Amino acid sequence: MAARTRYPTDKGLTTRMLSTVFLLGLLYAAFVAILVAVHVKLALILVLALGILFVQYFFSDRIALYSMGGRIVTRDQAPRVPGGTELFAVIDRLVALADMPHPQVAIANSDMPNAFATGRDQKHAVVCVTTGLLRRLDEPELEAVLAHELSHVAHRDVAVMTIASFLGILAGLMTRMFYFAGLFGGMGGYGGGRGGGGRGGNSNAGGQLVLIELGMVLVSAVIYAISFVLIRTLSRYRELAADRSGAILIGQPALLAQALVKVSGEMSRIPSRDLRAAEHFNAFFFAPALAPGASISTLFATHPPLQRRLDQLAKLDAEMRRGAA
Amino acid sequence: MGLLDVILGRTKPVEANLDKLFALPGARITLEASEGLVPTGQAGVCFKPSAGQGFAETEQEIAGMLAGASSGASAKLSEEADEYGYRWVVVGDADFDDLVTHAHFVNSTLREHGYGPQLLCSVFGFAPGPAPGSAPGRSGSVRASTYLVYLYKRGTFYPFVPAGAERRDNEAELRLKAELGKDLSVEPDLERWFPLWGLPVY
Repeated sequence: MAARTRYPTDKGLTTRMLSTVFLLGLLYAAFVAILVAVHVKLALILVLALGILFVQYFFSDRIALYSMGGRIVTRDQAPRVPGGTELFAVIDRLVALADMPHPQVAIANSDMPNAFATGRDQKHAVVCVTTGLLRRLDEPELEAVLAHELSHVAHRDVAVMTIASFLGILAGLMTRMFYFAGLFGGMGGYGGGRGGGGRGGNSNAGGQLVLIELGMVLVSAVIYAISFVLIRTLSRYRELAADRSGAILIGQPALLAQALVKVSGEMSRIPSRDLRAAEHFNAFFFAPALAPGASISTLFATHPPLQRRLDQLAKLDAEMRRGAA
Repeated sequence: MGLLDVILGRTKPVEANLDKLFALPGARITLEASEGLVPTGQAGVCFKPSAGQGFAETEQEIAGMLAGASSGASAKLSEEADEYGYRWVVVGDADFDDLVTHAHFVNSTLREHGYGPQLLCSVFGFAPGPAPGSAPGRSGSVRASTYLVYLYKRGTFYPFVPAGAERRDNEAELRLKAELGKDLSVEPDLERWFPLWGLPVY
Protein backbone atom coordinates (compact mmCIF):
# COMPACT_ATOMS: atom_id res chain seq x y z
CA MET A 1 0.00 0.00 0.00
CA ALA A 2 3.01 2.22 0.24
CA ALA A 3 2.77 3.94 -3.08
CA ARG A 4 -0.97 4.31 -3.24
CA THR A 5 -1.11 8.00 -2.54
CA ARG A 6 2.40 9.06 -3.33
CA TYR A 7 2.60 12.50 -4.70
CA PRO A 8 3.63 13.31 -7.46
CA THR A 9 5.05 10.63 -9.70
CA ASP A 10 8.72 9.95 -9.94
CA LYS A 11 8.66 7.82 -13.07
CA GLY A 12 11.70 5.65 -12.43
CA LEU A 13 10.65 5.04 -8.85
CA THR A 14 7.09 4.34 -9.85
CA THR A 15 8.14 1.86 -12.51
CA ARG A 16 10.24 -0.02 -10.01
CA MET A 17 7.56 0.00 -7.37
CA LEU A 18 5.02 -1.09 -9.94
CA SER A 19 7.06 -4.04 -11.10
CA THR A 20 7.51 -5.04 -7.50
CA VAL A 21 3.87 -4.79 -6.64
CA PHE A 22 2.99 -6.67 -9.83
CA LEU A 23 5.48 -9.44 -9.13
CA LEU A 24 4.39 -9.65 -5.52
CA GLY A 25 0.81 -10.04 -6.65
CA LEU A 26 1.81 -12.64 -9.22
CA LEU A 27 3.65 -14.47 -6.53
CA TYR A 28 0.59 -14.34 -4.38
CA ALA A 29 -1.56 -15.71 -7.19
CA ALA A 30 0.97 -18.46 -7.91
CA PHE A 31 1.07 -19.29 -4.23
CA VAL A 32 -2.68 -19.73 -4.19
CA ALA A 33 -2.49 -21.81 -7.37
CA ILE A 34 0.04 -24.12 -5.78
CA LEU A 35 -2.10 -24.45 -2.69
CA VAL A 36 -5.03 -25.44 -4.88
CA ALA A 37 -2.86 -27.87 -6.83
CA VAL A 38 -1.77 -29.66 -3.67
CA HIS A 39 -5.41 -30.07 -2.62
CA VAL A 40 -5.54 -27.52 0.16
CA LYS A 41 -9.15 -26.76 0.98
CA LEU A 42 -10.47 -23.63 -0.69
CA ALA A 43 -11.83 -22.43 2.65
CA LEU A 44 -8.33 -22.37 4.07
CA ILE A 45 -7.09 -20.37 1.08
CA LEU A 46 -9.87 -17.87 1.62
CA VAL A 47 -8.89 -17.57 5.27
CA LEU A 48 -5.27 -16.95 4.25
CA ALA A 49 -6.30 -14.37 1.66
CA LEU A 50 -8.49 -12.61 4.21
CA GLY A 51 -5.61 -12.70 6.66
CA ILE A 52 -3.35 -10.89 4.21
CA LEU A 53 -6.11 -8.38 3.52
CA PHE A 54 -6.40 -7.69 7.24
CA VAL A 55 -2.67 -7.21 7.62
CA GLN A 56 -2.69 -4.79 4.68
CA TYR A 57 -5.71 -2.98 6.03
CA PHE A 58 -4.56 -2.59 9.61
CA PHE A 59 -0.84 -2.14 9.11
CA SER A 60 -0.85 -0.11 5.91
CA ASP A 61 0.27 3.02 7.77
CA ARG A 62 3.28 1.33 9.33
CA ILE A 63 4.23 -0.54 6.15
CA ALA A 64 4.11 2.62 4.09
CA LEU A 65 6.03 4.66 6.66
CA TYR A 66 8.69 1.99 6.96
CA SER A 67 9.18 1.69 3.21
CA MET A 68 9.56 5.45 2.82
CA GLY A 69 11.73 5.85 5.91
CA GLY A 70 9.27 8.24 7.54
CA ARG A 71 9.46 9.08 11.23
CA ILE A 72 6.41 10.20 13.18
CA VAL A 73 7.02 13.72 14.46
CA THR A 74 5.15 15.07 17.45
CA ARG A 75 4.22 18.68 17.87
CA ASP A 76 6.99 19.14 20.43
CA GLN A 77 9.64 17.69 18.13
CA ALA A 78 8.52 19.72 15.14
CA PRO A 79 10.69 22.81 15.77
CA ARG A 80 13.83 20.65 15.47
CA VAL A 81 13.06 19.93 11.83
CA PRO A 82 13.56 22.85 9.45
CA GLY A 83 10.07 23.91 8.41
CA GLY A 84 8.48 21.59 10.99
CA THR A 85 6.63 24.28 12.93
CA GLU A 86 5.26 25.66 9.72
CA LEU A 87 4.19 22.17 8.64
CA PHE A 88 2.09 21.75 11.76
CA ALA A 89 0.61 25.24 11.45
CA VAL A 90 -0.50 24.54 7.88
CA ILE A 91 -2.00 21.15 8.74
CA ASP A 92 -3.77 22.60 11.81
CA ARG A 93 -5.55 25.15 9.66
CA LEU A 94 -6.42 22.75 6.88
CA VAL A 95 -8.00 20.18 9.19
CA ALA A 96 -10.00 22.97 10.83
CA LEU A 97 -11.25 24.10 7.41
CA ALA A 98 -12.08 20.55 6.34
CA ASP A 99 -13.40 19.52 9.78
CA MET A 100 -11.39 16.35 10.11
CA PRO A 101 -9.29 14.93 12.97
CA HIS A 102 -5.65 15.92 13.10
CA PRO A 103 -3.56 13.24 11.35
CA GLN A 104 -0.21 12.05 12.64
CA VAL A 105 2.61 13.82 10.89
CA ALA A 106 5.74 12.07 9.67
CA ILE A 107 8.86 13.37 8.00
CA ALA A 108 11.05 11.26 5.74
CA ASN A 109 14.66 12.24 5.41
CA SER A 110 14.93 12.37 1.64
CA ASP A 111 15.88 15.10 -0.74
CA MET A 112 13.25 14.07 -3.26
CA PRO A 113 10.28 16.41 -2.85
CA ASN A 114 7.44 14.06 -2.10
CA ALA A 115 4.49 13.44 0.19
CA PHE A 116 2.04 10.66 0.86
CA ALA A 117 -0.89 9.90 3.09
CA THR A 118 -1.67 6.53 4.58
CA GLY A 119 -3.85 4.92 7.23
CA ARG A 120 -7.12 3.09 6.89
CA ASP A 121 -9.36 5.87 8.16
CA GLN A 122 -9.26 9.44 9.42
CA LYS A 123 -8.42 8.38 12.97
CA HIS A 124 -5.38 6.38 11.91
CA ALA A 125 -4.18 8.71 9.18
CA VAL A 126 -0.53 9.58 8.78
CA VAL A 127 0.61 12.35 6.46
CA CYS A 128 4.27 12.07 5.54
CA VAL A 129 6.38 14.66 3.76
CA THR A 130 10.04 14.53 2.80
CA THR A 131 12.57 17.08 3.99
CA GLY A 132 13.14 17.86 0.31
CA LEU A 133 9.52 18.92 -0.03
CA LEU A 134 9.75 21.15 3.04
CA ARG A 135 12.86 22.80 1.70
CA ARG A 136 11.80 23.33 -1.89
CA LEU A 137 8.18 24.44 -1.65
CA ASP A 138 7.12 27.77 -0.28
CA GLU A 139 4.32 27.89 2.24
CA PRO A 140 1.27 28.24 -0.11
CA GLU A 141 2.58 25.42 -2.30
CA LEU A 142 3.19 23.21 0.72
CA GLU A 143 -0.37 23.92 1.80
CA ALA A 144 -1.67 22.86 -1.63
CA VAL A 145 0.25 19.57 -1.48
CA LEU A 146 -1.01 18.89 2.06
CA ALA A 147 -4.59 19.69 1.00
CA HIS A 148 -4.21 17.03 -1.70
CA GLU A 149 -2.89 14.49 0.81
CA LEU A 150 -5.60 15.28 3.38
CA SER A 151 -8.16 14.72 0.63
CA HIS A 152 -6.75 11.23 0.19
CA VAL A 153 -7.35 10.71 3.90
CA ALA A 154 -10.89 12.08 3.67
CA HIS A 155 -11.63 9.87 0.66
CA ARG A 156 -10.31 6.83 2.56
CA ASP A 157 -8.17 5.91 -0.40
CA VAL A 158 -6.02 3.39 1.44
CA ALA A 159 -9.07 1.37 2.47
CA VAL A 160 -10.61 1.62 -0.99
CA MET A 161 -7.44 0.54 -2.77
CA THR A 162 -6.76 -2.30 -0.32
CA ILE A 163 -10.21 -3.70 -0.89
CA ALA A 164 -9.96 -3.13 -4.64
CA SER A 165 -6.74 -5.10 -4.90
CA PHE A 166 -8.22 -7.84 -2.76
CA LEU A 167 -11.19 -8.08 -5.12
CA GLY A 168 -8.79 -8.60 -8.01
CA ILE A 169 -7.16 -11.47 -6.20
CA LEU A 170 -10.54 -12.88 -5.28
CA ALA A 171 -11.56 -12.74 -8.94
CA GLY A 172 -8.59 -14.91 -9.87
CA LEU A 173 -9.50 -17.33 -7.11
CA MET A 174 -13.11 -17.57 -8.24
CA THR A 175 -12.10 -18.32 -11.82
CA ARG A 176 -10.08 -21.26 -10.65
CA MET A 177 -12.93 -22.47 -8.52
CA PHE A 178 -15.41 -22.41 -11.39
CA TYR A 179 -12.90 -24.05 -13.67
CA PHE A 180 -12.68 -26.98 -11.31
CA ALA A 181 -16.38 -27.10 -10.73
CA GLY A 182 -16.98 -27.38 -14.48
CA LEU A 183 -14.31 -30.04 -14.97
CA PHE A 184 -15.32 -32.40 -12.24
CA GLY A 185 -19.03 -31.89 -12.37
CA GLY A 186 -18.87 -29.74 -9.23
CA MET A 187 -20.07 -32.57 -6.98
CA GLY A 188 -16.94 -34.28 -5.77
CA GLY A 189 -14.84 -31.13 -5.82
CA TYR A 190 -11.30 -31.13 -7.09
CA GLY A 191 -9.89 -33.38 -4.37
CA GLY A 192 -12.45 -36.06 -5.16
CA GLY A 193 -11.83 -35.84 -8.87
CA ARG A 194 -8.14 -36.30 -8.39
CA GLY A 195 -8.63 -39.18 -6.02
CA GLY A 196 -10.69 -41.01 -8.63
CA GLY A 197 -7.79 -41.01 -11.04
CA GLY A 198 -7.89 -44.81 -11.22
CA ARG A 199 -11.11 -44.75 -13.22
CA GLY A 200 -9.63 -43.85 -16.58
CA GLY A 201 -6.30 -44.54 -18.29
CA ASN A 202 -3.76 -43.49 -15.74
CA SER A 203 -1.12 -41.90 -17.96
CA ASN A 204 -3.69 -40.11 -20.07
CA ALA A 205 -5.45 -38.58 -17.09
CA GLY A 206 -2.13 -37.49 -15.62
CA GLY A 207 -1.18 -35.63 -18.80
CA GLN A 208 -4.55 -33.91 -18.89
CA LEU A 209 -4.17 -32.81 -15.30
CA VAL A 210 -0.83 -31.16 -16.02
CA LEU A 211 -2.38 -29.33 -18.94
CA ILE A 212 -5.33 -28.29 -16.81
CA GLU A 213 -3.08 -26.97 -14.09
CA LEU A 214 -0.97 -25.06 -16.59
CA GLY A 215 -4.16 -23.60 -18.01
CA MET A 216 -5.28 -22.61 -14.55
CA VAL A 217 -2.08 -20.78 -13.82
CA LEU A 218 -2.41 -18.99 -17.15
CA VAL A 219 -6.04 -18.02 -16.52
CA SER A 220 -5.30 -16.73 -13.05
CA ALA A 221 -2.30 -14.78 -14.34
CA VAL A 222 -4.47 -13.16 -17.01
CA ILE A 223 -7.18 -12.36 -14.49
CA TYR A 224 -4.62 -10.86 -12.20
CA ALA A 225 -3.06 -8.80 -14.99
CA ILE A 226 -6.45 -7.38 -15.94
CA SER A 227 -7.33 -6.52 -12.35
CA PHE A 228 -3.91 -4.94 -11.96
CA VAL A 229 -4.51 -2.57 -14.86
CA LEU A 230 -7.96 -1.80 -13.51
CA ILE A 231 -6.62 -1.02 -10.05
CA ARG A 232 -4.03 1.34 -11.56
CA THR A 233 -6.82 3.07 -13.47
CA LEU A 234 -8.80 3.42 -10.26
CA SER A 235 -5.74 4.83 -8.54
CA ARG A 236 -5.29 7.48 -11.24
CA TYR A 237 -8.92 8.41 -10.96
CA ARG A 238 -8.58 8.85 -7.21
CA GLU A 239 -5.52 11.05 -7.67
CA LEU A 240 -7.61 13.36 -9.82
CA ALA A 241 -10.35 13.27 -7.19
CA ALA A 242 -7.86 14.25 -4.48
CA ASP A 243 -6.50 17.06 -6.68
CA ARG A 244 -9.99 18.38 -7.08
CA SER A 245 -11.00 18.19 -3.41
CA GLY A 246 -7.66 19.62 -2.32
CA ALA A 247 -7.95 22.54 -4.71
CA ILE A 248 -11.49 23.25 -3.54
CA LEU A 249 -10.37 23.09 0.09
CA ILE A 250 -7.75 25.80 -0.34
CA GLY A 251 -9.91 27.66 -2.85
CA GLN A 252 -6.97 28.06 -5.25
CA PRO A 253 -6.60 25.40 -7.94
CA ALA A 254 -3.78 27.41 -9.51
CA LEU A 255 -1.65 26.96 -6.38
CA LEU A 256 -1.88 23.19 -6.53
CA ALA A 257 -1.01 23.31 -10.24
CA GLN A 258 1.98 25.48 -9.41
CA ALA A 259 3.17 23.06 -6.74
CA LEU A 260 2.73 20.11 -9.14
CA VAL A 261 4.80 21.79 -11.83
CA LYS A 262 7.46 22.79 -9.35
CA VAL A 263 7.83 19.36 -7.80
CA SER A 264 7.73 17.60 -11.18
CA GLY A 265 10.41 19.95 -12.44
CA GLU A 266 12.52 19.35 -9.36
CA MET A 267 12.00 15.61 -9.69
CA SER A 268 13.42 15.45 -13.18
CA ARG A 269 16.67 17.12 -12.19
CA ILE A 270 17.51 15.56 -8.87
CA PRO A 271 21.23 15.84 -8.23
CA SER A 272 23.24 12.64 -8.38
CA ARG A 273 24.08 12.72 -4.70
CA ASP A 274 20.46 12.21 -3.84
CA LEU A 275 20.08 9.33 -6.22
CA ARG A 276 23.00 7.60 -4.59
CA ALA A 277 21.55 8.28 -1.19
CA ALA A 278 18.29 6.71 -2.31
CA GLU A 279 20.01 3.71 -3.82
CA HIS A 280 19.28 1.36 -0.95
CA PHE A 281 15.65 1.49 -2.01
CA ASN A 282 16.61 -0.56 -5.03
CA ALA A 283 16.72 -3.61 -2.84
CA PHE A 284 13.02 -3.20 -2.13
CA PHE A 285 12.02 -2.27 -5.63
CA PHE A 286 13.55 -5.39 -7.06
CA ALA A 287 13.76 -4.09 -10.63
CA PRO A 288 16.33 -1.32 -10.42
CA ALA A 289 17.58 -1.79 -13.96
CA LEU A 290 14.20 -1.08 -15.51
CA ALA A 291 14.24 2.07 -17.56
CA PRO A 292 11.35 4.44 -16.95
CA GLY A 293 9.37 3.21 -19.94
CA ALA A 294 7.04 5.84 -21.29
CA SER A 295 4.25 3.95 -23.03
CA ILE A 296 3.63 1.14 -20.59
CA SER A 297 3.85 3.42 -17.58
CA THR A 298 0.80 5.38 -18.72
CA LEU A 299 -1.28 2.22 -18.54
CA PHE A 300 0.21 1.12 -15.24
CA ALA A 301 0.77 4.52 -13.63
CA THR A 302 -0.74 5.16 -10.22
CA HIS A 303 -0.85 8.87 -10.99
CA PRO A 304 -2.33 10.56 -14.06
CA PRO A 305 0.02 12.40 -16.41
CA LEU A 306 0.97 15.86 -15.16
CA GLN A 307 -0.78 17.53 -18.09
CA ARG A 308 -4.02 15.74 -17.28
CA ARG A 309 -3.87 16.99 -13.70
CA LEU A 310 -3.00 20.52 -14.75
CA ASP A 311 -5.86 20.54 -17.27
CA GLN A 312 -8.30 19.49 -14.59
CA LEU A 313 -7.07 22.17 -12.20
CA ALA A 314 -7.23 24.85 -14.90
CA LYS A 315 -10.80 23.86 -15.66
CA LEU A 316 -11.70 23.96 -11.97
CA ASP A 317 -10.09 27.38 -11.65
CA ALA A 318 -12.14 28.67 -14.57
CA GLU A 319 -15.30 27.18 -13.07
CA MET A 320 -14.67 28.83 -9.72
CA ARG A 321 -14.04 32.19 -11.33
CA ARG A 322 -17.12 31.90 -13.49
CA GLY A 323 -19.30 30.67 -10.64
CA ALA A 324 -18.10 33.39 -8.35
CA ALA A 325 -18.44 36.29 -10.76
CA MET B 1 -19.31 11.11 4.72
CA GLY B 2 -21.46 8.53 2.99
CA LEU B 3 -20.36 5.32 1.36
CA LEU B 4 -21.05 6.77 -2.08
CA ASP B 5 -18.71 9.68 -1.33
CA VAL B 6 -16.01 7.22 -0.33
CA ILE B 7 -16.48 5.19 -3.50
CA LEU B 8 -16.52 8.25 -5.74
CA GLY B 9 -13.70 9.98 -3.87
CA ARG B 10 -15.28 13.29 -3.10
CA THR B 11 -15.72 15.52 -0.09
CA LYS B 12 -18.51 17.90 0.63
CA PRO B 13 -17.21 21.29 1.76
CA VAL B 14 -18.25 21.82 5.37
CA GLU B 15 -20.53 24.78 6.01
CA ALA B 16 -19.92 27.13 8.88
CA ASN B 17 -22.13 27.27 11.95
CA LEU B 18 -22.44 30.85 13.17
CA ASP B 19 -25.18 30.75 15.80
CA LYS B 20 -22.94 29.73 18.68
CA LEU B 21 -21.19 33.12 18.53
CA PHE B 22 -24.00 34.62 20.54
CA ALA B 23 -23.04 32.51 23.54
CA LEU B 24 -19.97 34.74 23.95
CA PRO B 25 -21.46 37.55 26.09
CA GLY B 26 -22.27 34.91 28.74
CA ALA B 27 -18.74 33.55 28.63
CA ARG B 28 -17.35 37.04 28.98
CA ILE B 29 -19.04 37.43 32.37
CA THR B 30 -17.57 34.11 33.51
CA LEU B 31 -14.10 35.11 32.34
CA GLU B 32 -14.23 38.39 34.21
CA ALA B 33 -15.59 36.83 37.39
CA SER B 34 -13.24 33.87 37.59
CA GLU B 35 -10.07 35.05 35.86
CA GLY B 36 -10.28 38.83 35.87
CA LEU B 37 -10.15 38.90 32.09
CA VAL B 38 -11.94 41.63 30.20
CA PRO B 39 -12.50 42.01 26.45
CA THR B 40 -9.90 43.99 24.57
CA GLY B 41 -12.58 45.20 22.20
CA GLN B 42 -11.06 43.42 19.24
CA ALA B 43 -12.17 40.44 17.25
CA GLY B 44 -10.79 38.81 14.14
CA VAL B 45 -12.55 36.84 11.45
CA CYS B 46 -10.14 34.56 9.67
CA PHE B 47 -10.86 33.09 6.26
CA LYS B 48 -9.12 31.58 3.29
CA PRO B 49 -9.28 33.80 0.22
CA SER B 50 -10.51 31.99 -2.84
CA ALA B 51 -9.74 32.36 -6.53
CA GLY B 52 -12.22 34.42 -8.47
CA GLN B 53 -13.52 37.88 -8.93
CA GLY B 54 -16.60 37.22 -6.79
CA PHE B 55 -14.52 36.93 -3.71
CA ALA B 56 -12.91 40.30 -4.33
CA GLU B 57 -16.37 41.80 -4.63
CA THR B 58 -17.46 40.22 -1.37
CA GLU B 59 -14.44 41.68 0.35
CA GLN B 60 -15.33 45.09 -1.00
CA GLU B 61 -18.91 44.64 0.10
CA ILE B 62 -17.87 43.77 3.66
CA ALA B 63 -15.51 46.71 3.69
CA GLY B 64 -18.26 49.01 2.43
CA MET B 65 -20.89 47.73 4.85
CA LEU B 66 -18.62 47.83 7.85
CA ALA B 67 -17.38 51.27 6.87
CA GLY B 68 -21.01 52.36 6.85
CA ALA B 69 -21.58 50.69 10.19
CA SER B 70 -18.47 52.17 11.72
CA SER B 71 -19.34 55.69 10.71
CA GLY B 72 -22.57 55.38 12.68
CA ALA B 73 -21.43 53.24 15.54
CA SER B 74 -18.13 52.67 17.24
CA ALA B 75 -16.89 49.79 15.10
CA LYS B 76 -13.45 49.96 13.57
CA LEU B 77 -12.41 47.69 10.81
CA SER B 78 -9.20 46.69 9.14
CA GLU B 79 -8.05 43.91 6.91
CA GLU B 80 -4.83 41.99 7.23
CA ALA B 81 -3.10 39.05 5.62
CA ASP B 82 -1.15 36.56 7.70
CA GLU B 83 1.90 34.50 6.83
CA TYR B 84 -0.20 31.41 6.11
CA GLY B 85 -2.16 32.99 3.29
CA TYR B 86 -5.29 33.63 5.34
CA ARG B 87 -7.08 36.96 5.52
CA TRP B 88 -8.26 38.57 8.71
CA VAL B 89 -11.03 41.09 9.05
CA VAL B 90 -10.25 42.75 12.36
CA VAL B 91 -13.22 44.38 14.04
CA GLY B 92 -12.90 46.78 16.92
CA ASP B 93 -15.71 47.88 19.20
CA ALA B 94 -15.53 48.84 22.84
CA ASP B 95 -18.95 47.34 23.51
CA PHE B 96 -18.56 43.56 23.61
CA ASP B 97 -22.13 42.75 22.56
CA ASP B 98 -21.74 45.03 19.52
CA LEU B 99 -18.39 43.45 18.76
CA VAL B 100 -19.97 40.00 18.65
CA THR B 101 -22.73 41.36 16.40
CA HIS B 102 -20.18 42.90 14.03
CA ALA B 103 -18.15 39.70 13.90
CA HIS B 104 -21.31 37.76 13.19
CA PHE B 105 -22.16 40.22 10.43
CA VAL B 106 -18.80 39.76 8.71
CA ASN B 107 -19.23 36.02 8.94
CA SER B 108 -22.77 35.93 7.64
CA THR B 109 -21.89 38.24 4.73
CA LEU B 110 -19.16 35.81 3.72
CA ARG B 111 -21.49 32.87 4.13
CA GLU B 112 -24.31 34.46 2.14
CA HIS B 113 -21.92 34.74 -0.76
CA GLY B 114 -21.18 31.05 -0.60
CA TYR B 115 -17.87 31.27 1.22
CA GLY B 116 -18.95 29.41 4.37
CA PRO B 117 -16.48 26.60 3.64
CA GLN B 118 -13.65 29.15 3.48
CA LEU B 119 -14.15 30.38 7.04
CA LEU B 120 -11.43 29.15 9.41
CA CYS B 121 -12.14 30.71 12.78
CA SER B 122 -13.16 33.83 14.67
CA VAL B 123 -11.00 35.09 17.49
CA PHE B 124 -12.00 37.31 20.40
CA GLY B 125 -9.34 39.04 22.44
CA PHE B 126 -9.25 39.24 26.24
CA ALA B 127 -6.70 40.76 28.59
CA PRO B 128 -6.18 40.98 32.35
CA GLY B 129 -8.62 43.53 33.73
CA PRO B 130 -7.55 46.86 35.19
CA ALA B 131 -9.10 46.08 38.55
CA PRO B 132 -6.29 44.70 40.73
CA GLY B 133 -8.38 45.19 43.83
CA SER B 134 -10.28 42.03 43.16
CA ALA B 135 -7.32 40.11 41.85
CA PRO B 136 -5.35 39.05 44.96
CA GLY B 137 -8.07 36.72 46.16
CA ARG B 138 -7.76 34.57 43.05
CA SER B 139 -5.04 32.08 42.63
CA GLY B 140 -3.51 31.42 39.25
CA SER B 141 -5.53 33.91 37.27
CA VAL B 142 -4.36 34.46 33.72
CA ARG B 143 -1.76 37.24 33.48
CA ALA B 144 -1.49 37.42 29.71
CA SER B 145 -3.52 38.07 26.61
CA THR B 146 -6.11 35.39 26.17
CA TYR B 147 -8.09 34.55 23.09
CA LEU B 148 -11.28 32.66 22.58
CA VAL B 149 -11.17 30.95 19.21
CA TYR B 150 -14.38 29.84 17.54
CA LEU B 151 -14.17 26.92 15.13
CA TYR B 152 -17.00 27.29 12.65
CA LYS B 153 -16.95 23.79 11.31
CA ARG B 154 -17.21 22.29 14.78
CA GLY B 155 -19.40 24.92 16.39
CA THR B 156 -16.98 24.91 19.35
CA PHE B 157 -14.64 27.30 21.13
CA TYR B 158 -11.21 26.88 22.64
CA PRO B 159 -8.97 29.18 24.65
CA PHE B 160 -5.59 30.23 23.30
CA VAL B 161 -3.14 31.77 25.80
CA PRO B 162 0.18 32.61 24.15
CA ALA B 163 3.09 32.80 26.60
CA GLY B 164 6.06 34.32 24.84
CA ALA B 165 7.83 33.11 21.74
CA GLU B 166 5.71 30.31 20.25
CA ARG B 167 4.84 28.93 23.65
CA ARG B 168 1.42 28.68 25.12
CA ASP B 169 0.18 28.43 28.66
CA ASN B 170 -1.51 25.03 28.52
CA GLU B 171 -2.27 25.08 32.23
CA ALA B 172 -4.27 28.30 31.92
CA GLU B 173 -5.98 27.00 28.81
CA LEU B 174 -7.14 23.81 30.51
CA ARG B 175 -8.36 25.81 33.51
CA LEU B 176 -10.31 28.08 31.17
CA LYS B 177 -11.75 25.02 29.50
CA ALA B 178 -13.24 23.88 32.80
CA GLU B 179 -14.53 27.34 33.65
CA LEU B 180 -16.06 28.04 30.25
CA GLY B 181 -17.73 24.65 29.99
CA LYS B 182 -21.00 26.00 31.40
CA ASP B 183 -21.30 28.88 28.93
CA LEU B 184 -19.76 27.60 25.72
CA SER B 185 -19.33 24.31 23.98
CA VAL B 186 -15.58 23.88 24.34
CA GLU B 187 -13.84 21.79 21.68
CA PRO B 188 -13.28 18.38 23.34
CA ASP B 189 -10.54 17.24 20.96
CA LEU B 190 -7.39 18.97 22.21
CA GLU B 191 -5.61 18.19 18.93
CA ARG B 192 -7.83 20.79 17.31
CA TRP B 193 -6.74 23.61 19.64
CA PHE B 194 -4.24 24.87 17.11
CA PRO B 195 -2.04 27.85 17.98
CA LEU B 196 -2.48 31.13 16.10
CA TRP B 197 0.93 32.72 16.47
CA GLY B 198 1.19 36.30 15.39
CA LEU B 199 -2.51 36.80 14.96
CA PRO B 200 -3.44 40.42 14.19
CA VAL B 201 -5.90 40.72 17.08
CA TYR B 202 -5.16 42.19 20.49
